[in-house]
Amino acid sequence: MKKLSVLLIVMCLAASVFAGGSSEQAAAPAAAKAPIDLKVWVGELYVDATAKMVESFKAQYPEETFNITIGIESESTCKDTILTDPEAAADVFTFADDQLLDLVNAGAIQEVLVNPEGVKAANGEGSVAAATVNGKLYAYPMSASNGYFLYYDSRFFSSDDVKSFNTMVEKAAKAGKKVGMQFGPDGGWYLYGFFKGAGLEMVINEDGKTNSCNWNTAKGVEVAQGILDLVASGAFVADSTSNLVSGATDGSVVALVDGTWDANPIMDAYKDGYACAKLPTFRVAGQDIQTASFAGYKLIGVNPHSKNVGWAMRLADWLTNEANQVLRFQTNGDGPANIKAAADDAVRTNPAIAALATQGQYATVQRVAGNYWTPAATLGTILSQGNPQKTDLLTLLDTAVAGITAPAL
Amino acid sequence: MAATAVSRVREGLAPVGAFFSSFALAVKKGDIYVKLSLVIMGLGHIVRKRVASGIALFLTEIGFFVFLSKFALKYIGKLPTLGTVQAEMYFDPILFTNVWNDYDHSFKILLYGIVSVLMILAFIYIWMTSVKLAYRLQCDKAEGVRIPTLRNSISDALDTKYYRTLLFLPILGIVIFTVIPLIVMIAVAFTNYDQQHMPPTALFTWVGIENFRQIFSTSLTSTFGYTFAKILTWTLTWAVLATFTNYIGGILLALLINNKYTRAKKFWRTCFVVAMAVPQFVTLLLVRNFFADQGIVNTICSNLGITAFLKNIGLVPEYLNYIPFLTHKVWAKVMIIVINIWVGVPYLLLIATGVLMNIPQDLYEAATIDGANNVQKFRAITMPYMLFVTGPYLINSVVQNINNFNVIYLLTQDVYETTDQLMAISHGRETDLLVTWLFRLTNEYYNYKMASVIGILVFVVCTVITLVAFNVFLKKNKEGEMQ
Repeated sequence: MKKLSVLLIVMCLAASVFAGGSSEQAAAPAAAKAPIDLKVWVGELYVDATAKMVESFKAQYPEETFNITIGIESESTCKDTILTDPEAAADVFTFADDQLLDLVNAGAIQEVLVNPEGVKAANGEGSVAAATVNGKLYAYPMSASNGYFLYYDSRFFSSDDVKSFNTMVEKAAKAGKKVGMQFGPDGGWYLYGFFKGAGLEMVINEDGKTNSCNWNTAKGVEVAQGILDLVASGAFVADSTSNLVSGATDGSVVALVDGTWDANPIMDAYKDGYACAKLPTFRVAGQDIQTASFAGYKLIGVNPHSKNVGWAMRLADWLTNEANQVLRFQTNGDGPANIKAAADDAVRTNPAIAALATQGQYATVQRVAGNYWTPAATLGTILSQGNPQKTDLLTLLDTAVAGITAPAL
Repeated sequence: MAATAVSRVREGLAPVGAFFSSFALAVKKGDIYVKLSLVIMGLGHIVRKRVASGIALFLTEIGFFVFLSKFALKYIGKLPTLGTVQAEMYFDPILFTNVWNDYDHSFKILLYGIVSVLMILAFIYIWMTSVKLAYRLQCDKAEGVRIPTLRNSISDALDTKYYRTLLFLPILGIVIFTVIPLIVMIAVAFTNYDQQHMPPTALFTWVGIENFRQIFSTSLTSTFGYTFAKILTWTLTWAVLATFTNYIGGILLALLINNKYTRAKKFWRTCFVVAMAVPQFVTLLLVRNFFADQGIVNTICSNLGITAFLKNIGLVPEYLNYIPFLTHKVWAKVMIIVINIWVGVPYLLLIATGVLMNIPQDLYEAATIDGANNVQKFRAITMPYMLFVTGPYLINSVVQNINNFNVIYLLTQDVYETTDQLMAISHGRETDLLVTWLFRLTNEYYNYKMASVIGILVFVVCTVITLVAFNVFLKKNKEGEMQ
């Protein structure tokens, strides 16, 4: 009897638990005067600025009642959180453009239907391209300064020196200083620029899940050799950007490749010598080749599972309009994607943003399937160590390309 | 050995057989009310004046069929395919929001389907038990035994059978938080749940043992077999080394501190134990930064000429101008073990101190009289005693170290990158344990199916180690022999 009553209680409890879960969510029609619930995810540094923008948004629609909450979710990890449970993610979220493809593939981002033409006209070509997949605009460009470029100490290098990596490492080697770039974990992002600069391709296939890559060619071997030549100088060091920034602070690193997110500590490190430039060239088979890069944008997306998709799009549109991009430049130093905002004098004279803009012509929008990253990081690590096993470079590239182009897991 | 295993299984299954045969007996020998209880649960109880229990049983039956029709059948029906209706939606400009179709969510189907199956099994158990009880009540009545009332039952539950009342919540918790997730996780290993098949937008389905085949095979573009073998080897090496270095280190340190010539014992003990006050992950992250390629330790070593010296004797590769503490595969592995000794020894110090203090002094006195020296005493008294007391702990530690996520992950994440291109293709690294590899596959690549497979294999490895170790190693250490 005891067993039985125990089981009975189990039954009742379980039944009540699941009775609640079984009712399907019905799409609630947006009643005219019901409060509009929206949740916004932004990076920690953007909370204050976003709160201001949300207030001005509410003021635009005095006849509606809004219930807008701001949650903290870093742009760099936003995709991971959303993909854990797309139905539970925020209505409006900010993310780095490299995550767009995965979000689109997972159906976790809404196609832009509120003001798409206005967005395309107002924002720079690159940022619109970064927000577009298969011809459809999926996000509102928020800032255009998420790429990388060269920071250098102008007390050490002249503006002529920083035109070529080879000149830089030569000079740095003589003085026992270092020029740094991230190569190990996550180094694939930086490594791409060398091969792309030499005209080699690594692009995503039409299936949106795998990559094509032609790095394992004679040209690719020359590029790899070019990187090895830089490394052989001893002054070209590969490390995480955070370590390189500490190196800049203690004076050993006199130039590094990094993005605007590290501008402040680098400014403190180089003081009067703080200067920025586009990426230098590097020598491939006797020829100087401009290093390319991945462009980086921050975007604002809308969750298609939101109960108020329309209002979420209006809010996203508002958060990325010209005035608010200017506000974000003032509060966070973000380079605007908006054409008019970017033409502002204060924006154009900002050294980091100016350097990024120059690099922009050699930058590609990042459209990469997931299998690129680990094999590329490994290739970069091997090259940054000077290819210690003396593996035949073509074999090295063949294996890397096999991994990069492998079918999706 | 095999014979005993078979008889053990037979022993284990005996109660199950008894349960079914007594049910059959109840159905066969029961009167009309017992037989009707097969259809209308609780009838047998009500007839024998157990009205409250009878009604409860009847309500359970009704509740179950409501649950079955409203919930369970919907999900169980889709369980074989894990859903067929792809999610679709369009934007409705009048509602000003998206309208979705009634799409299938493969993961919910899997989860709720499994829960439903478990609920049905539970119901069948209740149903069979209730019929057996109805028959027992019939027998009791025939024999004139007083039938316990509801009040009796309740007072029983709070008195003689209180242990069952107490165990109810923990068991419920284990079922909901351990058993069900475990079954679901095992089921995922037989599906293609990965980044290409992520609910709610995409469906995933059953693929049989395809994933297990993949983890043991290697081709140019899929190197799971290669990576698995390498990572498993390192996982086991690490587990054994990490456990025994800590163990030996802890005992030696305890002996040193407890030595009669050591002064200020409490001070030394405190020194080591204070290290435990800092959360482990803080220590590990700090240490990781100390040993970075351009970190503080490297700066010091370089200034002192240690880097140059190590380069000369060939321990640091010629192409580096720093010591690759955490970035070279051999250096990193050694460093991880050394750092683990540093963070782990204080715990062992405490355990070993406790055990050492409990070794009867007369054993040592007797040994001294017999002319044993310190080494002999250590080998013949201290170590056997330690091993006897801490044997189960040791085995437990090995298993824990197989799953020692913190040390490996915090020391190598964002620092170490493999130079083994074949491992890179499966997103593995030389320093990875199976669990950290599993974590990367789920967290960065959403490869839930392979993560589940690895999870199951980790479980198998741990089980085998535990069973073998307990059976072979501990059986020899019978208490009698110890005395």
